Amino acid sequence: MPQNEIYNRISESIVNLDEETAIELANQALNENMDLLEVIEKGYADGIRRVGELWEDGEYFLPELMMGARIMQNCLDLITPHLQKETERITHGTVIIATIEGDIHSIGKTIVATMLRAYGFEVHDLGADVSIEKIIDKAIEKNADIIGVSALLTTTMIGQKTLIQKLKERNLEDKFKVILGGAPVTTSWVEECNAAGFAENAVKAVSLVKTLIKK
Amino acid sequence: MSFQDWLNDDSKVILFDGGMGTELIKRGLTIGKLPDVLNIEQPEIISEIHKSYYDAGSSMCQTNTFGSTPLNLKRYDLDNQIEEIIRKALINIKKVCPPGKLIVGDIGPTGEFRPPVGNATSKDWHASFTTQAMLLEKGVDLFHIETISDIEEITTAIKAVREISEKPIIASITYKKTKKGFFTIMGDSLEKCIKTLDNEKVDVIGANCTLGSNDMLLLLKEAVEITDKPLSVKPNAGQPRIEGASTYYDQPVEEFVDDIRKMINLGAKLVGGCCGTSPETIRSIRKIIDSF
Repeated sequence: MPQNEIYNRISESIVNLDEETAIELANQALNENMDLLEVIEKGYADGIRRVGELWEDGEYFLPELMMGARIMQNCLDLITPHLQKETERITHGTVIIATIEGDIHSIGKTIVATMLRAYGFEVHDLGADVSIEKIIDKAIEKNADIIGVSALLTTTMIGQKTLIQKLKERNLEDKFKVILGGAPVTTSWVEECNAAGFAENAVKAVSLVKTLIKK
Repeated sequence: MSFQDWLNDDSKVILFDGGMGTELIKRGLTIGKLPDVLNIEQPEIISEIHKSYYDAGSSMCQTNTFGSTPLNLKRYDLDNQIEEIIRKALINIKKVCPPGKLIVGDIGPTGEFRPPVGNATSKDWHASFTTQAMLLEKGVDLFHIETISDIEEITTAIKAVREISEKPIIASITYKKTKKGFFTIMGDSLEKCIKTLDNEKVDVIGANCTLGSNDMLLLLKEAVEITDKPLSVKPNAGQPRIEGASTYYDQPVEEFVDDIRKMINLGAKLVGGCCGTSPETIRSIRKIIDSF
């Protein structure tokens, strides 16, 4: 089978949420010693990007988005140990993600974490209602590039600003880029907090993280 | 008069209450605090808000128990206080409910999703809703299961309530507007949701939250074509605007109320408001209803 055809089939399997085929094609790629980075980029990543687009268009809903990301993650778990050189390991960067203290809304944050993992980022999801100190300590421990902090309540959003202030107090503001998430977050709030950016959904969050890490 | 009598009276439009959360925020609700716990800690504020809605003309108001399911309370380490939270919620509303008006037991979502989004099972939901409904049952005239975004979760909640009570149920789902029409975030269409609820043992089918009054009006136009059951609408006062750490709902009351008037003309049996609506909104709707 020509390689392009396999990439297309992989991409289709993700879009169709067909886990069996997606796994089967991952094994085939391994058996045939294909260029695994190409397989990931042109096959799986293309598929999950299309799932994301369908979700943004209102064709797919939360279950499809989450299912697509999880199938992709399972395939990547099969492939990544076989990437030959350490430099080929596709950790595009490390992201610490959490919902701010006092706020127990976790669904949006979990979706973003799942999508980032699917795109090959190393993600440490600390859960919901996480203290600012714990988020900062974990970012230091994991040498993170990005801290993503979610707040769904207008009453807890202030924690996003406090986190950035705490980083400054500890002279860490240049070490980590802080991005914000959550329904009430707006551009003006990002400016007020002096954050690196915000994304209104999981697909845009992936683009944002990619852009920030390239900088 | 019972709720059932009101439903049977063709000339009656039942006026529900408006938002609780946004009224609490106006009164300085503490950061990250679950409103339900204020039933114990600041009961006078909860009673004051209920009273303001009854005084504004609401025929019925709902208990401050939106988040009082064991599954939700557990996330705040408050699950061991559920009995006290609901007991106090019932006291807070009962003492200000005027004769002839009703008390609605409010049941919100558990906050836990089923796979692949989360890990909740129907069994978890059922146990959680059963506990809440049993604690509410003796103190309420009817139930409002609301702001649910999953058809499986709402049917589980209805089953749990029906197993322990014969009191009327209003079942309200929250929808978002997509290019293809109104859907839940889990992907169920308005038509599928209403047809499902039509076959359930519920007395009123509703929609609440997420949508502003203009979109709710569009939703209702579709809903009246799908079911003959009475319909309830509780839209938000437009979309929130954030400034600093505060939220504002800017939609003028007149505009919201004008949409409500159109919804009554379309056949809405129950009307009220959700986030951003206030006693002022309810007072204006009262005037409209009384003028019919």
